[in-house]
Amino acid sequence: MPKDAITNEPLIEMVNVTKIYPPDVAALQDISLRIYKGEILFLTGMSGAGKTTLIKLACCLETPTSGRIDVAGRDLSLISPAGIQRMRQKIGVAYQDFRLLDKQTVFQNISMAMEVTYASTKAIRERVEELLTMLNLSDKRDKLTGDLSRGEQQRVALARAAANRPSLLLADEPTGNLDLTTTKLVINLFRHLNEEHGSTIVVATHDESIYAETEHRVVALSNGHLSDHPRRTPQQGELFEA
Amino acid sequence: MHFLSYILRQTGKNLRQTWGTQLLTLLTVTLSVLLFAFFFLIYTNMLNAGKRLGDEVRLIVYLDQEITEQMRPELEKKIGDFGPVDKIVFVSRNEAFARMSAQLGQEKDVLNDLDPDFLPPSIEVYPLKNLKDLSKISQFSDFLLTLPHATKVQSGSDWLRRFGHFTNLLRVVVFLSGSLLIISMTFIVSYTLRLTVLSRQSELEILKLLGATRAYIRLPLLLEGMLQGFLGSSFGLAALYLLYQSIDSHFSNPGFLKLFDFAFFPAEITAAILLASIVLCTAGSLFSIRRFIRI
Repeated sequence: MPKDAITNEPLIEMVNVTKIYPPDVAALQDISLRIYKGEILFLTGMSGAGKTTLIKLACCLETPTSGRIDVAGRDLSLISPAGIQRMRQKIGVAYQDFRLLDKQTVFQNISMAMEVTYASTKAIRERVEELLTMLNLSDKRDKLTGDLSRGEQQRVALARAAANRPSLLLADEPTGNLDLTTTKLVINLFRHLNEEHGSTIVVATHDESIYAETEHRVVALSNGHLSDHPRRTPQQGELFEA
Repeated sequence: MHFLSYILRQTGKNLRQTWGTQLLTLLTVTLSVLLFAFFFLIYTNMLNAGKRLGDEVRLIVYLDQEITEQMRPELEKKIGDFGPVDKIVFVSRNEAFARMSAQLGQEKDVLNDLDPDFLPPSIEVYPLKNLKDLSKISQFSDFLLTLPHATKVQSGSDWLRRFGHFTNLLRVVVFLSGSLLIISMTFIVSYTLRLTVLSRQSELEILKLLGATRAYIRLPLLLEGMLQGFLGSSFGLAALYLLYQSIDSHFSNPGFLKLFDFAFFPAEITAAILLASIVLCTAGSLFSIRRFIRI
């Protein structure tokens, strides 16, 4: 989606969010952030800065210790378990640890995301083939994911996250195991989703090469605190002041 | 349509993944149903036989001399005063001989050398149905023995009593096999499902992250239990029917089965056993789902 087409309507709004893991590890402290519909946002920071925790909070894999998170205008803490599941169908998440089923094929792993939405077999086959082509994995279609390299597994995880053309795609270190060529394929996938389907993309990464030349907003996390980043876009990039 | 197709496909996948355990469970359910249904079939047939025998109860008072026509009304009144009767039949020596001759049919020649008066005269008393209680029959029998010229009363109450005891024992066996059926179905299906859940633990976790609904995850498991109940009880009942057919063809004529008019379950009972099995197995599945799945 072109930058000037980004709406002013926030898709995710975090207000004074703190996440403390027992016994007293503060992963995020008093974070306030808006992520707008149709936006591509880079979340940067060193390992342990809190990027993964923020991603997990956004997809309801974790609940905040304090503060409030709204997704599409709805307070996450008030959404029923069934509502959370329905919402997850519209959020694609590429986890840092991939979370693939090693004993299932690449096709089965990717199609699983569409099967839970009861998509037709034809639609699943077409979409999976399309993603495999985009990520240069066509020849791995029927291979067990356990037999793939880390880089290939990472692309399968990304394909699964993108399968439903999600409203929101959260990618945690999506290029950690990729070379420059495949990194470009992944970036192209993000761009395609954003431009063709209006997906909001949040990329958590410490790989500066991905966002160094970007015009999109970049926010940095450091020791659980959000800090302004020199590369943020002026019209959309304001950190939300609670 | 897609929903149903996914649920069925997922159920098939579950069954394939744990087919060994599934097969053992199916065998256990089948044997449990077969065991219960076997005893229940005997029990229902015994009940029917008992009812028929009860309907045919009569008391025979053997006498040491013939009852004259004049004495009959007085005896009928005396008997009627003690208890309500359906009918009273006086059988003379000659009538008894004629009956025996008729019963022997072609073998009646054996009676040629015997005196036609060798059989005792008797009175056959047919009590009304409300007097068919075994203790009342016994009291009636004691009373009839006090009639003039009565030497012996044959009521068959001892045999009926023993038959009643056997039926009661069978009721206990049916109860025990029914309990076994409930326990085996509920627990074994529940255990099998637990294995299914454990074998798919990582998959279920990922499905949850991808937004799978409760129905998507739980329905195939519930269907798995229902299928076990349906197939297990169908196989069990089919095996019992084959057993019944085999017994029926071997003992068809003349013999025990004809005497008792041995019959298979009517359609309603068969359907009830099927339904009960499905409900029990589904309950077992439900138990495991509620306990082991957190979605």
